[in-house]
Amino acid sequence: MGDMILPLEEEEDMKRRNTFSINDNVDLLVEILGRLDGRSLGVAACVCRLWSSVCRRDSVWEALCNRHVAGGGGGPGTRSVVAALGGYRRLYRLCVGPVLDRLAGGPGRAGWAPTREEAAHLSLSLSLSLFSIDCYERLGGPRQRPASLLFLCKPVNVS
Amino acid sequence: MKREHQESVAAGGGYPAAAGMMSGGKGKMMGMEEEDGGVDELLAALGYKVRASDMADVAQKLEQLEMAMTSSAAQDDAFLSHLASDTVHYNPSDLSTWLESMLSELNAPPPPLPSAPIPNNRSNQFELPPAPAAAVRAPILDPGECSTITTVDFPTPGRQSEYDLKPIPAAPGRVVYGSEPLAEENARDRKRMRTSSSSSSSSRGGGIGVGVGGMGSAMPAATEASSVAAGAATGALPVVVVDSQEAGIRLVHTLMACAEAVQQDNLKAADVLVKQISMLAASQGGAMRKVAGYFAEALARRIYRVHPHQDCSLDAAFSDILEMHFYESCPYLKFAHFTANQAILEAFAGCRRVHVIDFSMKQGMQWPALMQALALRPGGPPSLRLTGIGPPQTDNTDALQQVGWKLAQLADTIHVDFQYRGYVANSLADLEACMFEADASGNGNGGADEEPEVVAVNSVFELHRLLARPGALEKVLGTVRAVRPRIVTMVEQEANHNAGSFLERFTEALHYYSTMFDSLEGGGTAAAAAAEAAVGASMGQQDLVMSEVYLGRQICNVVPCEGTERTERHETLGQWRGRMTRAGFEPVHLGSNAFKQASMLLALFAGGDGYRVEEKEGCLTLGWHTRPLIATSAWRVAAAGAALPAASAAR
Repeated sequence: MGDMILPLEEEEDMKRRNTFSINDNVDLLVEILGRLDGRSLGVAACVCRLWSSVCRRDSVWEALCNRHVAGGGGGPGTRSVVAALGGYRRLYRLCVGPVLDRLAGGPGRAGWAPTREEAAHLSLSLSLSLFSIDCYERLGGPRQRPASLLFLCKPVNVS
Repeated sequence: MKREHQESVAAGGGYPAAAGMMSGGKGKMMGMEEEDGGVDELLAALGYKVRASDMADVAQKLEQLEMAMTSSAAQDDAFLSHLASDTVHYNPSDLSTWLESMLSELNAPPPPLPSAPIPNNRSNQFELPPAPAAAVRAPILDPGECSTITTVDFPTPGRQSEYDLKPIPAAPGRVVYGSEPLAEENARDRKRMRTSSSSSSSSRGGGIGVGVGGMGSAMPAATEASSVAAGAATGALPVVVVDSQEAGIRLVHTLMACAEAVQQDNLKAADVLVKQISMLAASQGGAMRKVAGYFAEALARRIYRVHPHQDCSLDAAFSDILEMHFYESCPYLKFAHFTANQAILEAFAGCRRVHVIDFSMKQGMQWPALMQALALRPGGPPSLRLTGIGPPQTDNTDALQQVGWKLAQLADTIHVDFQYRGYVANSLADLEACMFEADASGNGNGGADEEPEVVAVNSVFELHRLLARPGALEKVLGTVRAVRPRIVTMVEQEANHNAGSFLERFTEALHYYSTMFDSLEGGGTAAAAAAEAAVGASMGQQDLVMSEVYLGRQICNVVPCEGTERTERHETLGQWRGRMTRAGFEPVHLGSNAFKQASMLLALFAGGDGYRVEEKEGCLTLGWHTRPLIATSAWRVAAAGAALPAASAAR
């Protein structure tokens, strides 16, 4: 390739071959996106189809839910139960996310200030309980209005 | 017709008869201000026909008459006796014209309306000993001398005691007709308030933050308000100023007065007071209005002896719906379920076969969380058997079975081996221990190598109903012991609505439900707003309203009903502890896990700063601010070495 003057298309073609694109390395993408928090994952899902499909993977949300929990959250048994109840993404959206947001707002109640790990573990188990109640309510049929989680809803969020 | 005020009103017009003026009379004067249109009904109850529109006028005239008499009292015995004998007195029940006739006898023109400093002068006027009043009273009301007084009816001294209820504070700042009659009432009332505040403080009003102690602060406000009002009054234009804090205190006192009247079987007075409660309640806002409304309805039911016709089929389904809304809008039921589940979970540690007996099946909202926790426990889930007890449904739907089916579906989803059995029972006392045994056919294994089944019994707000029938609770607790449970979890309201006289029960219930409604308001508004935003429909609001109806039904059982009809017989944790211990159970301490989980749950409720989780001798209570409202406790059968309880019912 001695020619110094290349036609425009060939120049761009060479540029393309020499640049690195994250979208070509999905495993790397998964690793990076798996470290985001819930809101950022939601934003990332809007970037392009590839990112959206990565962000929909339950494993990403599982990592998010288990992030601060000692021992990583319980292993395959937990995974199958959560999957049966609706998946980690749904768990985060309905329960873990709102729970963490709510708890971040205020300090510990009088007489009990949990450690970070304790708080994470408890919020996960509490979320799982609430999640299972919600799932149970939905079993009633499409007419059923599942409302047991309404108390977790945030007031209108304009951020 | 009660005419104890005949004395004070007819005698010399507006003579307050300071020493003898009844608080009930004050109440009537108060009622006078609120009625609009038509004849004032409170005065009508006494036999006086006064049009509400004439009220201010009548009050002024009474004032003038009184002033004229007192000012002339020293030198004018002749004048007074003239009034007594020579005047033609018209029927005093028509106060307005009667006063006209009295005043027309006065030679002096009506004195000008006094200005602001009057309140103090007025109080001096009242130092006048009742002697002139007595002197005036006799001649004026001497039936022999008056030609047209036909219905004078001197009250017997005994009757006065009927209205000698806890004094209703005048709340002078509250409704003010910009003229002195109220000012004079104010001064009198201030005096009375001072002397009576000690007795009033003993009556526990609602915990609405308008404590009875607030009466102390009401007084300087009253003074200001009355002087301002008197100062502002120049013409006959009535100025109505409503001070709702005063109204709150008055409302509570009227409620107490009505309850006392009911206790004394004075239904006429109670009837009048009940209507007053409704009027007062309308001027309040928020929780107090609703509580007052429900208590007024309950009192009315008691007075008129309305027995709620219990339509069982509609009732059970409707109760379930109400309870669902109550579940969604506030944390009490969730707290109950979560803490009970934690205790059961800990008791089931390491067991491979477990059986839960639920006395309060309803919609089964407690069990998905337990199933999930069992599914996720290290070592895998046990095989779970659930027996649910429910009331009969007469409309051919089998609610218990439907709930069981849903639970089975969920269990199947999360791979928990699950069996369900439902029992319909009118009362828990109909249950026998043999009903809870496992099927002999078993799970397909040989019968011999099956692990023993570990049993837990759960009851949320159910055991107190058994107290309506003597002996029922003992029978049920005997059945529970016969099943040999590893743990018995019990959640009950933390209140004493079962002992003492009607008045004590009423007071206790007023305090309890006021706190409950407060918590609904406080915790509910944020959730309601959030839910509205989220769902679009006014579902949060609907939840709140339905929860209030749910509590209202309890109120309408605690207050008016007696005997077996009254099923809401709440007792405190201490009382339940005594009952359980006598029945052969010993307490199990709920662990710190339950406390932490409950605390975190409460932290999630927006506006939930008012909720308090407390631990009391191993039991957990959830309350609003300083008042515990429900209590969870856990029990197990006392060790065999302990003395077995006597079989006799210890009630």
